[in-house]
Amino acid sequence: MRIFSKLIGGALLAATLSSGVLAAGYPDKPITLICPYSAGGGGDTASRMIAKLAGDMMGVQINVENKTGGGATIGISAVANAKPDGYTIGFISTSPITIRPHMMDAPYNPIEDLTYIGQFVASSQPLIVRADSSYKTLDDVIAYARENPGKLRWSTSVQRGGPHVAVEAMFKSEGVDATFVPFKGGSKVLAALLGGTIEMAMISEGNKATLDGQTRILAEGTPNKNPVAPDAPVLTEKGYPIAPAIFFGLAAPKGLPAEVIAKWDEVLPKVIASPEFQQLAEARKWTVDHADHAAFTKIVESDYAAAKKAIADIGMK
Amino acid sequence: MGDTFSMVAEGVSLALTWQSLLAIVLGVAAGQILGAIPGLTASMAVALLIPYSFYFDPWVGIPMLLGMFKGSLFGSSTTAILIRTPGTPAASATVLDGYPLAQQGKGAKAIKMALYASVFGDTFSDVCLIFFASLLAMVALKFGPAEYTLLIILALGSLGMLSSRPAWKGLVATLAGVIIGMIGLDPMAGTERLTFGNLELEEGIGLIPMLIGFLAVSEVFRQMSGSVQDLSAKAIRYSEKPEDNRVSLAEFVACLPTLFRSSAIGTAIGAMPGLGSTVAAFIAYGEARRASKNPEEFGKGSLEGVAAPEAANNAVSGANLIPLLAFGIPGDIAAALILSALMVQGVTVGPLAFSQNPLPLYAIYAALILANLVNLALGFGLVKIAAVAFSVPRRLLLASVLVIAAAGSYALRGSVFDIQLVFLFGIFGYLMMRFGFPPVPLLIGFILMPLLEENLRTVLLLASTYDEHLFFVFKRPAFLALMALMGTAICLVAWRRRRRALAARPDA
Repeated sequence: MRIFSKLIGGALLAATLSSGVLAAGYPDKPITLICPYSAGGGGDTASRMIAKLAGDMMGVQINVENKTGGGATIGISAVANAKPDGYTIGFISTSPITIRPHMMDAPYNPIEDLTYIGQFVASSQPLIVRADSSYKTLDDVIAYARENPGKLRWSTSVQRGGPHVAVEAMFKSEGVDATFVPFKGGSKVLAALLGGTIEMAMISEGNKATLDGQTRILAEGTPNKNPVAPDAPVLTEKGYPIAPAIFFGLAAPKGLPAEVIAKWDEVLPKVIASPEFQQLAEARKWTVDHADHAAFTKIVESDYAAAKKAIADIGMK
Repeated sequence: MGDTFSMVAEGVSLALTWQSLLAIVLGVAAGQILGAIPGLTASMAVALLIPYSFYFDPWVGIPMLLGMFKGSLFGSSTTAILIRTPGTPAASATVLDGYPLAQQGKGAKAIKMALYASVFGDTFSDVCLIFFASLLAMVALKFGPAEYTLLIILALGSLGMLSSRPAWKGLVATLAGVIIGMIGLDPMAGTERLTFGNLELEEGIGLIPMLIGFLAVSEVFRQMSGSVQDLSAKAIRYSEKPEDNRVSLAEFVACLPTLFRSSAIGTAIGAMPGLGSTVAAFIAYGEARRASKNPEEFGKGSLEGVAAPEAANNAVSGANLIPLLAFGIPGDIAAALILSALMVQGVTVGPLAFSQNPLPLYAIYAALILANLVNLALGFGLVKIAAVAFSVPRRLLLASVLVIAAAGSYALRGSVFDIQLVFLFGIFGYLMMRFGFPPVPLLIGFILMPLLEENLRTVLLLASTYDEHLFFVFKRPAFLALMALMGTAICLVAWRRRRRALAARPDA
């Protein structure tokens, strides 16, 4: 029985290889999409939406598996260690790829162990103050921090994430001192800002809060212009060291076959152009921004290098 | 005025179609069942459903979600009471008196009390939401780390480490809880603590595996160590006496002060993003015992001990919508999911929604109240189902609990490590039971102490940015108000004790 099935398997394998169906045939069985974040969060919602829409388009089931823990490094390490056949892929976002590996002993090397399939969302990270705050521009904030060392209280949704590094690098290059007050998650940061516990924040929730008239945007912490306040300067435009892309993307183990990459380069733009995805992105205030394998790899590599330098300069661990 | 009325009527009518009623019934039923299965939460189910919610009409999808969350909070208390397995962490305080009641054959009575308390707490907080959302949210926003610290100290005080007879055992248990709670990332510096370089420990010990192991698996081990003949007996006996299987009007009325107090505690905590329903349940439990006429019954099967945490944890879920609707700030994961479902459906919430487009808000209010009624009605059904499901022989039930415990903890984040944790904590909990260490101080140490540490250290960090240093807290009106409130409460307790002591003396 065992031999029989092996024979059949071998025959099938030979058939597929010889006729070159392998290339045109991806995918021909269910794909596992590992999401390193827990069910219910933004990363999970995005993973499930991509899984459903891409699965429908490619005619296979894409199963989302939540493997959380270790600041998303456990899930990503599971992706990095999988077989590079295109049937195990993973959802990734900025922090565990371009930022955290510089501060911890990550179980993978983001540059050497992963293939970057594509980016589909580049979220905005506005630097905000309360609408009734006396700070009208970023220079007002810097001036205050210069005169009152350590008195300016601020926060971001994740400690030691991209926005945290970007703002610390800004303070460092100005030679001023401020106090970072950690909170768990953007909504708690927003509550602390509105309640007067802190004076400034860099959180994606700032766009909606600004539209609601609760906050004011002074700058943008990612490379793209802020959608709500297009006049607000991007940190790097002001000459500060880094404005890392805060992305949602897909990755796979290193050594992914070219035909699998080509398939996703074809499918991913269609997925994110679909009305369902657009509606979700609009609702979650995500900026849909596709980057294909080549472009996304470049973004990751340059941000990785920039963050490495910035983190070393600040001395963050 | 007439205009407002027609707006309310129009909004309410959105949620009063037969489709949305059906959706609520389905949602509540699914929630009650999911809630009863440890590890499976309504949040997970909702997360799975969100990609599909585009294909629903908004006023089918949203009422279903609301129903699901309400149903799951009650559902999780049935297993907490019957088999000492809290379906969600919020029900862990319910175990303390619910399980002893079930052991006395009064399981049905306890579950019914939990049902009434859940619906009571839900309705109380929904009414607060409808009439005072903006006001409550405004006050709650004034509460920051300084006030949270004070509140948690208050909770620790009222829960007391004195509950256990040899005080040193209570202290040891508390310390064990604190140490377990310290594992993970340092809340301020973000560096690893007690993880021994293990990535699995970086985010700390999960609440669910810890609770299931410590409460449920340890109890299975205890029962397994009993005599073999016992194993074929029915797992849970129900008393023959009808009064042990229902909650009489007199008993309900006796619990009313507890219900009101606990619902108010739950609503207040729910309005503040940052503390959560498990904390609310423990605070309400402690307050109920402090205020009770029979505090010695707590932990041995007090009805008030079931009513208090159940009313409080449900009140939190309604009140979590207060900051959500008023400021667009979700108080917990459930509220965050409701927010994303609302947004997917094109319904905006936040400060502008009240003035610009209040119709959906009225529809949400109507759906909330309706869901409470459905929860009550279906709850009776669940009591009956649970009675049948858990009357299997003990040998089957014990094995099933172990399987459910393992599967439930794995389902949460797909981690085999969590299954190992469940059994590790099962053994640990069993040993504690054998050597007479009380479980409550450990739970308090594990659940409340990390919150206390986080908030206290945030206060200390904030203090470094003020000229008046730590005295900045006295510039916060909310802090002063809370201090005054606590001072009054302490004086009242002292006065009552004194009076009781005087009355006890024959010559007084």
